[in-house]
Amino acid sequence: MADFIIAHLYPELMNLYGDRGNIICLQKRLEWRGYNSYIEAISPGCQIEFNQYDMIFMGAGSDREQKLVVNELVHNCSDLKLEIEQGLPALFVGGAYQLLGKYYESSDGVQMPGLNLLDFYTQREQNRLIGNIVLAASLHGQPFTVAGFENHAGRTYLEDKEIKALGRVISGFGNNGEDEQEGIWYKNLIATYLHGPLLPKNPILADYFIEVMMNRKGITFASRLDDHIENFAHEQIKKKVLG
Amino acid sequence: MKKVALIIAIIAGKFAACLSKMVGTGGTSIPGKIALKLYPQILKELAANISEEIFVVTGTNGKTTTTNMLAGILKEKGYTFVHNRAGANMITGITTAFIKETDWLGKRKTAYALLETDEANVPLLLKQLHPRVVLITNFFSDQLDRYGELDTTINLIKDAVRDTNIELVLNADDPLVTHFKNDTGLHCWYYGFDDTNYDRVLSEEGREGRFCVFCAHELYYQRFHYAQLGKFCCPECGNKNPERNFTAHSLMLTPKIEMKVNDIEIISPYQGFYNAYNVLAAVSLAKLVGIEDAIIQKAIANYEPDAGRMEQFEINNRKVTLILVKNPTGLNQALAAINTEPARKTIFFALNDNVADGRDISWIWDADIEQITVLHLNVEAIVCSGQRSGDIALRFKYADAPVDRIYIEDELQSGIKKALSVAADATYVLSTYTALFICRDILIKLQQESIASADLIDQIQKSTES
Repeated sequence: MADFIIAHLYPELMNLYGDRGNIICLQKRLEWRGYNSYIEAISPGCQIEFNQYDMIFMGAGSDREQKLVVNELVHNCSDLKLEIEQGLPALFVGGAYQLLGKYYESSDGVQMPGLNLLDFYTQREQNRLIGNIVLAASLHGQPFTVAGFENHAGRTYLEDKEIKALGRVISGFGNNGEDEQEGIWYKNLIATYLHGPLLPKNPILADYFIEVMMNRKGITFASRLDDHIENFAHEQIKKKVLG
Repeated sequence: MKKVALIIAIIAGKFAACLSKMVGTGGTSIPGKIALKLYPQILKELAANISEEIFVVTGTNGKTTTTNMLAGILKEKGYTFVHNRAGANMITGITTAFIKETDWLGKRKTAYALLETDEANVPLLLKQLHPRVVLITNFFSDQLDRYGELDTTINLIKDAVRDTNIELVLNADDPLVTHFKNDTGLHCWYYGFDDTNYDRVLSEEGREGRFCVFCAHELYYQRFHYAQLGKFCCPECGNKNPERNFTAHSLMLTPKIEMKVNDIEIISPYQGFYNAYNVLAAVSLAKLVGIEDAIIQKAIANYEPDAGRMEQFEINNRKVTLILVKNPTGLNQALAAINTEPARKTIFFALNDNVADGRDISWIWDADIEQITVLHLNVEAIVCSGQRSGDIALRFKYADAPVDRIYIEDELQSGIKKALSVAADATYVLSTYTALFICRDILIKLQQESIASADLIDQIQKSTES
């Protein structure tokens, strides 16, 4: 039996960029610590019992797929909210981030309702915000950087000042290219525009999710891994972006 | 006045082409860029010098190889043509090709134009000239950051060909391509494969186009050739492969490509299923031009792989293969080819993130790198290089390559030398676009040095014998 079960929500629909890199990363880092894990792919039409999982993940998808996913999830929304409130680790990327909010407004002004889990909204603009991005964030009072790549037409605005961003933009665009904020970090949910292989290059974030998963099961998180390649890749982007 | 402006633009373009030839860089797009600045109508006017027909080849993979093979066939036949070589497939590169082929006055007639065209540049190009045919090879995720999502790219091309009298030549096996008929109403020719011995019943790769473009139901596949190319049908609305005009059958990968296209027997020195598609596309176009079977057969048989398309080198008695990789599907195919190599080998991988490579490197996580089981397949070393050496090293690490066999050497030359210095019988050099020609130059130089030193040893042996 698997020590940990991670739900990968709608991989057939939300898989625009190398999102499975995040899943591979979590699974390997658990394995290297001696734990096995099972990735359960959730397909459209499945009833989801969110309390069965140690973590949930959803990747990026285009507007069309986002709409399908909102229609799927809207029935399970209160369960999802409850689990998030209770500290279920969750990573939502790109389009999956946008659909957690109140609505997503297309460039011609049509509003597509979101799941309304958190108090923010997204407006689509013509030009896309594209490029490498570096953030300043902190965990347990320790500052660290997050490095990745963003590519989004949506501009996201956090309305509730209580919702913390994932980090402050040092270089790049972030939520909307205006307020220097990127993503959200609420309880153990992280939602972000940093798509593709976010966790492999940011082992602090990967281990944060693993630590929470273990703590919730009463297992003490220990054992640092040899992260020299991870750190090299992280620093390579920082050097490229910040000079 | 107009006339003078055209001549000035041509002269400037030709001059820039000469200069860059002397300097050795930038010869493919800068001349066109300068000429377009000086005279924006230049492409439109030079295209009017094509006396027969213009062919545009677009799609994600296989554009360069397909166009080059067709060029080989037209050359064999003795026709004149404009052709943008070496993957310079933006408007600027295409303009350069026209400038190189014309005379100083911009008057010289040429029979055909073969224009490999970047997907996002198709709408721009069709505003300048009117091809008889647009051929679409396939659609895969590629360089998403440049074009937005794949759907957007497909719609851009669809909008550009709608309400024209262009004939489309389409890959009948790709559900992302075949719907062009319904959505444009244009006359379509189809090419595709019959069942082959290399098909699979189950797909093992992450793939595009799982859902019907018409009704969004999941497509049912009877067979996969590779990725989403195969025999499909939609159980909901009946969408399926169209009737083919050009059918490839009896395919054998030996590893040469041997097959029949309708009743023409074709043998090509290229390798790999994806190249069999390129041969098929080129043969289909050649048939539409009306070229005789014997000429097509001869040209394809003599056509050697281009730079980075499984190009072979021999360095110090080691077989070295250079492969261009730019998207998950291409990389999966390259790795599948490496898997068939029984000898001990090393892998060199240069990952760059310039605009021409795609600035977003997340595609390496969509490729099935896990198929390279390092220990089982005698992979002695994996050397990671280029601007994003760290990312590709990580990808191999998370695909279970032992960390002590992963080396990081940002610099291309020292990286290639490292891969050649670890004991093995074969080395595979994988590279994204902007590192490709640098890697190729390094390999050519090392090959020359290796021949020279072999000659020297020969001489020393001879002189000691005498």
